[in-house]
Amino acid sequence: MAVETEATRPVSRRRRGVSRREVLGVALAGGAGVAAIRLLGIGSPPAPSAAPATGKTDWISPLGGESARVSQLLRRVTFGAAPDELDRALSDGYAKTVQRLLETPPAVPPALAGADQAAKGNAIRAQSLQKWWIDWMLATPTPFAEALTLFWHGHFTSDYRKVGLQTPWIYWQNLTWRQHALGDLKSFLLAVTSDPAMLRYLDLGNSTGQNPNENYSRELMELFTMGPGHFTEDDVRASAKALAGWREPQPGTDGKVGIFDPRRAFKGGPLAFLGTTGKFDTEAVINAILAQPATAPFIVQRLLTRLAMNNPAPAYVNRLADGFRRSKYSLKQLLRDILTSTEFNAPPTYRSLVKSPVEFMVHALKAVKAPELSQLAVQGGGGMGQNLFDVPDVGGWPMNEAWISSNTVVSRVNFVTGVLNGLKSVPPSGKAPAQHLESVVSPATAQLLNGASDDRERWFIVLASPEFQLK
Amino acid sequence: MSDEKAGINEVHRRDFLKAGLVFGAGAAGLAAGYAAVPDAFARAVFAAKKDGITNDRVLVMIQLAGGNDGLRTVVPLQDPKLHDFRPRLAAPSVAQALPLSNDFGLNANLKGVKSLWDKGRVAIVQGVGYPNPVFSHFESIRIWETGDPTRRSINGWLGRLMATQYDTLGHPLTGCACGATDVPGALRDLQATLTVVQNGKTFGFQGGSDIENAVTALYKGTPGIYGALFDTAISTAKDTIATLKTAADKYQPAAAYSDNAKLVYSSKNQLAAALQLAAELIVTGTGVKLLHVTLGGFDTHYTELNRHDDLLGYFDQAVSAFYSDLDAHGLADKVLVATWSEFGRRPKENASGGTDHGAASPLLLIGNPVKGGFYGAAPRLDDLDATGNLKYKVDFRSVYQEILSAHLGADAKAVLGDTFEQIPFIAAPVSVGA
Repeated sequence: MAVETEATRPVSRRRRGVSRREVLGVALAGGAGVAAIRLLGIGSPPAPSAAPATGKTDWISPLGGESARVSQLLRRVTFGAAPDELDRALSDGYAKTVQRLLETPPAVPPALAGADQAAKGNAIRAQSLQKWWIDWMLATPTPFAEALTLFWHGHFTSDYRKVGLQTPWIYWQNLTWRQHALGDLKSFLLAVTSDPAMLRYLDLGNSTGQNPNENYSRELMELFTMGPGHFTEDDVRASAKALAGWREPQPGTDGKVGIFDPRRAFKGGPLAFLGTTGKFDTEAVINAILAQPATAPFIVQRLLTRLAMNNPAPAYVNRLADGFRRSKYSLKQLLRDILTSTEFNAPPTYRSLVKSPVEFMVHALKAVKAPELSQLAVQGGGGMGQNLFDVPDVGGWPMNEAWISSNTVVSRVNFVTGVLNGLKSVPPSGKAPAQHLESVVSPATAQLLNGASDDRERWFIVLASPEFQLK
Repeated sequence: MSDEKAGINEVHRRDFLKAGLVFGAGAAGLAAGYAAVPDAFARAVFAAKKDGITNDRVLVMIQLAGGNDGLRTVVPLQDPKLHDFRPRLAAPSVAQALPLSNDFGLNANLKGVKSLWDKGRVAIVQGVGYPNPVFSHFESIRIWETGDPTRRSINGWLGRLMATQYDTLGHPLTGCACGATDVPGALRDLQATLTVVQNGKTFGFQGGSDIENAVTALYKGTPGIYGALFDTAISTAKDTIATLKTAADKYQPAAAYSDNAKLVYSSKNQLAAALQLAAELIVTGTGVKLLHVTLGGFDTHYTELNRHDDLLGYFDQAVSAFYSDLDAHGLADKVLVATWSEFGRRPKENASGGTDHGAASPLLLIGNPVKGGFYGAAPRLDDLDATGNLKYKVDFRSVYQEILSAHLGADAKAVLGDTFEQIPFIAAPVSVGA
């Protein structure tokens, strides 16, 4: 049995692409006191050596190799990769793949059937809307845009329960967020503030300068831009006044932004907001927020802990935040800085995030090439804690360890069972541990994989494994 | 054992370590500045436990998520200020309130709670809050969940209680979140096992024991910072499935639970089903002690008039069914229901016919263990703080303290880190450590 360790494995920095052989020719590296092992040649009978069952156990990072870095990139920001997507990225190499992700304009999803009839007595069905998006996550040629849209859906969040489905507003919000996902934060925030679904979800659409509703004002600062502790109750009141005047567009029209009605606006003179006294309108409020030192690190931290690593170092966050500000809050530049930083591929970040339920389900369906089973992903999210367009509260979804409970793990396993039961035949599984787990698995997973009697069983182990829940 | 016949078994000590659940965080991870979270997870080991609390008292916490409007729950009947602050909201709620005294009445939809009040089964603690109120949902929720207004604590007050004073080893149902998918912050503690069951009727592995066995083998000694959490979640799920399987045959609900309230305001709208599951766990002797359920939708910034009433009506039906069910099973003496919410709402209504985030609000404590009546003091509408909010009269930890020591027989100071004013709403305190 070939034994290869991190130290002995040759890594050519000059070679741009990654050979198939490097991906598949993974080797067993059972260091002393290390329980996470790499598999050799799944399919051949490798019989993993007796690694200690307990003790010092962290995943052995494979990130010294470019193939693992590419694989990790696609897992973190594109819902994993189908085999053909992975092949293409491996042949392009890491740098070129990052460039392609950032520079390819987001593909536009097909229109949701019946959305334009929503205001004419034919309300959208929540499940249709959810399925529309899952289907597009599976079909799109630009899954990076969908992963980002999902991130922003959880950040600038709204739910169909309060917004309602008697208008296309919640669907339109999804289209709008996708357009801004690689744009600049200021334009995005202006669009968020006047978005019809948001005007209803956080009540700005029925606030007035005379008797303001504080809901949007507070969450704009606390949840959307700055985080708690960086503004006062007086700031909440001041910006509630400054932002008042928006109202929802008339349902049934194709007005995709709110209408500003100066008669409803605040008329009481200068306001003191975030340390400045003067006249504030919506744009001035957003400018003042963007001028605050807390804003850039807050957005950076939020992106990193969903897409990159669980506990980024403050110096790293600040460095990215500085670049974000210098780029005039360009989200594309920020993402470029993140994806090309050494920290993004640092070994300690390996598997330090838990896939959200949607990420897990979409990756699983891509892995077994079963887009036709997307309805299972629509139904399966509830037990795992994530239904699209139905966030638990204005804070959006939780992350990482909060995705793990007795209920959610059972639901994740049941989803895998449902998918495999729904397939008449499953794809060959021999490369699955390499393609989807970088062949870095626990002794328990290794043992089960080696003992699996057929493709179906091996796919079950891969997709239900703890390794596959992580990104 | 008579307690077992009655449906609540005693907790027995089992000193063993579950194989494969002990791990140390990877040295590389800790060395590179990613230490904080991994270190927290690394402590998720099953330490051998001392003897835990062995009495048969049960606590059910009901979270009214979003910030419940106390002024429309326990309504001031005589205060003209209420009508000044709330031109649209005050009149109907005052006119229709169910009088409890000359000065206060319950929301018109709390009819079941009112009938329990008439029997002396409801304690109302008025003016509950904490110093320097925080108006962020999430910050204030964290304060209530951890019992720490300084926001330094990570673990929940009930999680700490479980970890230090109950024997959760081999008893996955000591603490249970019913009707939820994630662990509620109040029950969170990495040193305690905890079950989360969204739907007791469907909870289990599709594909039966083959799948269950495979998954059990798969989630063993999982490396990495989430490894112990994953492995514990699977082993807890497996134990819970086995317990629920036998429990389902032994339980017939003795009350009508209904979730047909058509509440669309929140995804957390299955309170009745969650309480029915709680009743099943209590009645069938699963050893459950600490339960948590959530009803969402209380963030009534707009059109509060009917929405808030609907929520309270639904709460009333679910809690009434739960009480009747336990009473019919002879267990009502053991179980305390307590509400909590991150804050009350602003006395002054806004342009949207709703109310913004506020501060102090009343808590309801329901069940045979309580000595019915009013406790604390209602905040005055003519003495608001600088933010226009009600000033609190009772620290919420006083309520926790009474629940912990008098109802559960726990060491309250060990959980709360301090001693607070006593609010004696428990009729017959159990002895601490019993």
